[in-house]
Amino acid sequence: MIEFKNVSKLYGNVRALKDVNVTIGNGEFVFIVGASGAGKSTFIKLLLKEIEPTAGQIIVNNTDLSAMKRKHIPYYRRNLGVVFQDFRLLPDKTVYDNVAFAMEIVEASKKEIRRQVPAVLGLVGLASKANAYPHELSGGEQQRTSLARALANNPSILIADEPTGNLDPATAKEIMKIINVINHRGTTVIMATHAKEIVNAMKKRVITFRKGMIVSDQEKGEYFGEV
Amino acid sequence: MKFRTWKNMIREGMRNVVRNRVMTLASIGAIMAALFVLGIIMATIINLDNIVAGLESKVEVTVYLKKGVTQGDINAVRDKINSWEGIIGVDFISKEEALENWRKEMGSKSYLLDGYNEENNPLPDTFFIRVEKPEYVENIVNNAQKLDAVDQVRYSADVVRAITSIAGTTRLIGLSIVLLLSIMSIIIINNTIKLTVYSRRREINIMKYIGATDWYIRWPFVIEGMVLGLFGAGLAGGAVAGAYALLLGKANDMGSILSIFGLLPLKDIMYPVLLVFVLIGCLIGVTASMLSIRKHLKV
Repeated sequence: MIEFKNVSKLYGNVRALKDVNVTIGNGEFVFIVGASGAGKSTFIKLLLKEIEPTAGQIIVNNTDLSAMKRKHIPYYRRNLGVVFQDFRLLPDKTVYDNVAFAMEIVEASKKEIRRQVPAVLGLVGLASKANAYPHELSGGEQQRTSLARALANNPSILIADEPTGNLDPATAKEIMKIINVINHRGTTVIMATHAKEIVNAMKKRVITFRKGMIVSDQEKGEYFGEV
Repeated sequence: MKFRTWKNMIREGMRNVVRNRVMTLASIGAIMAALFVLGIIMATIINLDNIVAGLESKVEVTVYLKKGVTQGDINAVRDKINSWEGIIGVDFISKEEALENWRKEMGSKSYLLDGYNEENNPLPDTFFIRVEKPEYVENIVNNAQKLDAVDQVRYSADVVRAITSIAGTTRLIGLSIVLLLSIMSIIIINNTIKLTVYSRRREINIMKYIGATDWYIRWPFVIEGMVLGLFGAGLAGGAVAGAYALLLGKANDMGSILSIFGLLPLKDIMYPVLLVFVLIGCLIGVTASMLSIRKHLKV
């Protein structure tokens, strides 16, 4: 479970988030929408403990993030899978190695890696491309690799920051299918996006940010747009 | 950390060393130059220390007693001397022994001293005080002069002072130069590793998000820095050994002139030099790599 309690974030004098209160339950699928600069990125960075809130409390899986010591951050992040708009794959590693890399970092055993990597590649439909390099892949395949990497360590929460931002609508749809499958397997999904069609088609919870505040939080919601 | 992780990190670190060939060579060259100068300084200091130690161990105060002192006076003076600070040992030579020694030294010409006997012995009873450090000499001399039974006190004050000051100055100058050169090397290696860090910034960023610990990310760079430091140390060690061997050869050719200075043998110099090189080489490499990656860990 993720809880934001009266969370505010200031960058100097600029207010990025103001008094945000929100609770996201285990296994939920939540869209975070809003214009650029509305606070989506700040929300996600706070969740990753990349930045600290100016005020308020963030609790993830019963852990208060502000009380967490710096050396515990890596272990906390192992519960989170992250995908980005720009994929962030390592160009000199194959699809398989990109995924295995995530597991080597947390010192998984060779046996676990040999079992888990093909499993997650199968889940995202990339089993046949295991030995390809990122530059040999389409955008959609690259994002699927990045999803596989995010899932390699069985995170309880998947954070996707504009995962379809660089993809054409058809490919984006496929990615959303996979993310939906991941959600159905029990992983909490938090996805920041601008993609109106996707949000409206998925009929999930939608949290809308505007000027650092949550202006709408709807079950089976729709995209408010930047009115 | 697991053994396999260590193996991967060492491999990764070595790969970085090979990958940045030009900067690697520049770094090794820089650290080698710095350590070479350091080695020369060390060789000088070690030799000077050796000379100083040799002279310091000979620091001695000679105390001549007045004529006609009694055995009781002698015992009292001995007790006094033993109570002072910095005394390693006290030797007493009675005037009779002194005369006897003189006779022995004269050998076949000892008949020249036949005119002397216990009644008219010209030599005084003497205490030879061996002193731990030159710093103690002044007090000992002052104390000795105050004693009633004491006639004269002899010591070579200027030599003692010069030795002390040379030893101190050499260490001070040496340490300053070492510090300066170390900082220079750190800057150069820091830049080399920054190149690796820069070329792998994406990877580091991803690692941070996936949940790699800071040390997991740091180790390959630290290893790279250490390898650069050790290579530089090894080469510099070879260069210093070569230069010193050359100097020893020259000293032998010139025979006794340089041998007064009593240059230490090569191995006495190289053990401490290599030890310091390896330590400083590693330290410089590690410090430089830690500095160059610091910024990228703040994600």
